[in-house]
Amino acid sequence: MRLKANIKMAFASIRSARWRSFLTMLGIIVGVASVVVTISLGEGVRQQVEGQIKQLGSDLIIVKPGKNVGASSSLGALTANNAQSFTDQDLQAIKTTKGIKTVVPFSTVSGVARTDDSELPDGFIVGTTELLPEILRQRVKYGSFFAADDTNRKIAVIGKRVAQDLFHETVPLGKSLQVRGERYVVSGVFDQFATSPLSPTSDYNSAVFIPYESARTLVGQSQIYQVLVRPIDPEQTSQVAKNITANLSDAHGKQTDFTVLKQEENLAATNKILTLLTSMIAGIAAISLLVGGIGIMNIMLVSVTERTKEIGVRKAVGATNRQILDQFVTEAAVISLLGGVLGLLLSLFVDYLFRLFTDIKPAVTVPIMGIAVLVALVVGMFFGILPAIKAASRDPIEALRYE
Amino acid sequence: MPIINLQDVSKLYGFGDATTVALEEVNLSIERGEFVAVMGPSGSGKSTLMNIIGLLDRPTHGSYVLNGRSVSRLRSNQRAKVRRDTVGFVFQSFNLLPKLTVLENVALPLAYKGMTQTRRLKQAAAVLERVGLSDREYFYPKQLSGGQAQRAAIARALVNNPQIIIADEPTGNLDSAASRLVMELLSDIHAMGGTILMVTHNPELTRFASRVVFMHDGDIVGDKQSTIGQVPKSLRKRMYYLPKLTEEDRIAGVSAMMKAFPDKEAKSSKRTTKARKAKKPSTRKAKK
Repeated sequence: MRLKANIKMAFASIRSARWRSFLTMLGIIVGVASVVVTISLGEGVRQQVEGQIKQLGSDLIIVKPGKNVGASSSLGALTANNAQSFTDQDLQAIKTTKGIKTVVPFSTVSGVARTDDSELPDGFIVGTTELLPEILRQRVKYGSFFAADDTNRKIAVIGKRVAQDLFHETVPLGKSLQVRGERYVVSGVFDQFATSPLSPTSDYNSAVFIPYESARTLVGQSQIYQVLVRPIDPEQTSQVAKNITANLSDAHGKQTDFTVLKQEENLAATNKILTLLTSMIAGIAAISLLVGGIGIMNIMLVSVTERTKEIGVRKAVGATNRQILDQFVTEAAVISLLGGVLGLLLSLFVDYLFRLFTDIKPAVTVPIMGIAVLVALVVGMFFGILPAIKAASRDPIEALRYE
Repeated sequence: MPIINLQDVSKLYGFGDATTVALEEVNLSIERGEFVAVMGPSGSGKSTLMNIIGLLDRPTHGSYVLNGRSVSRLRSNQRAKVRRDTVGFVFQSFNLLPKLTVLENVALPLAYKGMTQTRRLKQAAAVLERVGLSDREYFYPKQLSGGQAQRAAIARALVNNPQIIIADEPTGNLDSAASRLVMELLSDIHAMGGTILMVTHNPELTRFASRVVFMHDGDIVGDKQSTIGQVPKSLRKRMYYLPKLTEEDRIAGVSAMMKAFPDKEAKSSKRTTKARKAKKPSTRKAKK
């Protein structure tokens, strides 16, 4: 009951000095907004990566040529360079590994896909086999993927973005594009691939898939930049990965100049980076929250001095020290709570902008919102106590004399 | 039993060589229902005495018994509570909170008692009606005239049904018409049994008091019972000439007796000045 009266008085006080209250709140608003935006960005990216990895399945094994120093750590595995490539013998070695169900090679074809009136600089051309849709768990939305015996035909299956950017339509089936002077007919368009900004596998929405043999004919040899493998038994993924490593190193003369990546390592690595980045930036953002709190303390001190006479009158009329303390702490709390809510709204708006203009989809969960507002409140109360104590301990007689 | 009983009350500020004695062993006893006017030059300790009686301050030495309860050694929070329930303050500069409406201002003491808003405001409205400000309930203090503001302040002092009202120069900032209204209000409260302590510089206002206390340098130097309507003899000398009062004036009431205001009587008849001039030389000669 007394709290309600204090809250009403706090609002009246804030309303009577609108601009000043707003500027005081600004520190908290910006602080809360930056913390929430940072955390939601991190969470959003994490969710996207997780989504993609889940879609691909945790039993997917990625085999890449080239090995970075420290590739044994999950961080290094992500950044392993692709300057080298596998050969067909390597592919064979992988295929004969024990426990393998599906093996799909990805070979690069250098060059730009073009039509008569446009070209696709962002796109890339991949030579692959008929099992690609199965291993990527992605379906061809329009048309169909090539079959096992199509390996030398000049047909292409494209990603969604290729259809939009190169052909400017959703279903360019039957249309043709040119790769390195050769004409390929579009026989299928893929459904939207789940993308993630930190994924080691590229954005297939901008990919043009052509049959493996056809690619080899075009380039002259196979330049495999990655091989995707699925084991027969998902539980045996680690073991199969080890088998692949063993086989490949045999083929490479006992050298392990390649990387075998399990999806869980992927997930762990991404999570680790993201948590690190998010914590760092959130920490810096939290400093701005601290500064906001100091701003509140500053203004409350000024306010207390300004209202010395008022405090004197209230005490003369019968307010105890505790009641004056409560009044001023409530005022600080209301300011910071309001700032917290406004900061939250600002962060939601910024997240919306991110969603609109970039690939990142920030995720704000209810616990995050609750904690943000709570933290704002606590900061306000903490920084409001000192001025409140100052107000409460004013001698009423002197306070009444203050002009 | 007196409602206020001060015994050997002293108030000292500072220590060592820089000690200031604001009050020196003051003994004062006030019964219920008295209207006491406290007079004295600046620095005589009037305000300090009022502050101690009103529990805004604590005596350094001595005892203060209020309503049978010893209150001289209470802590500030306890004093606040007693003050809230027993004392109503009226200040010279009104001291209404500018950001609250008149109604909320008057209800303020009740808020600190923990009363709910509806009850508070109802009680405040009742008191405002008693002082004649019902039509100004939702005004802000700066929208009131001086007299209205002071009456609102008196309403605030009354809202808690206090035992004592302490008024520190209540008409100090008011013109004569407003002063009249305010003093009539205080007089009504007194007539209904209230106990009032009033600090004033204006001897005219002692007409309303039933007792006048004179202070000088921290001590009470005079304490006289006075009849309502009369200015004590000792004050008459310091004032301007007071016209004789007629029967009509006595019937009309005390405030009608306040005829001798400077703006009227300063340009008084030559008779006054002559009479004074005539008097003075003789007294001087007598003294020599």
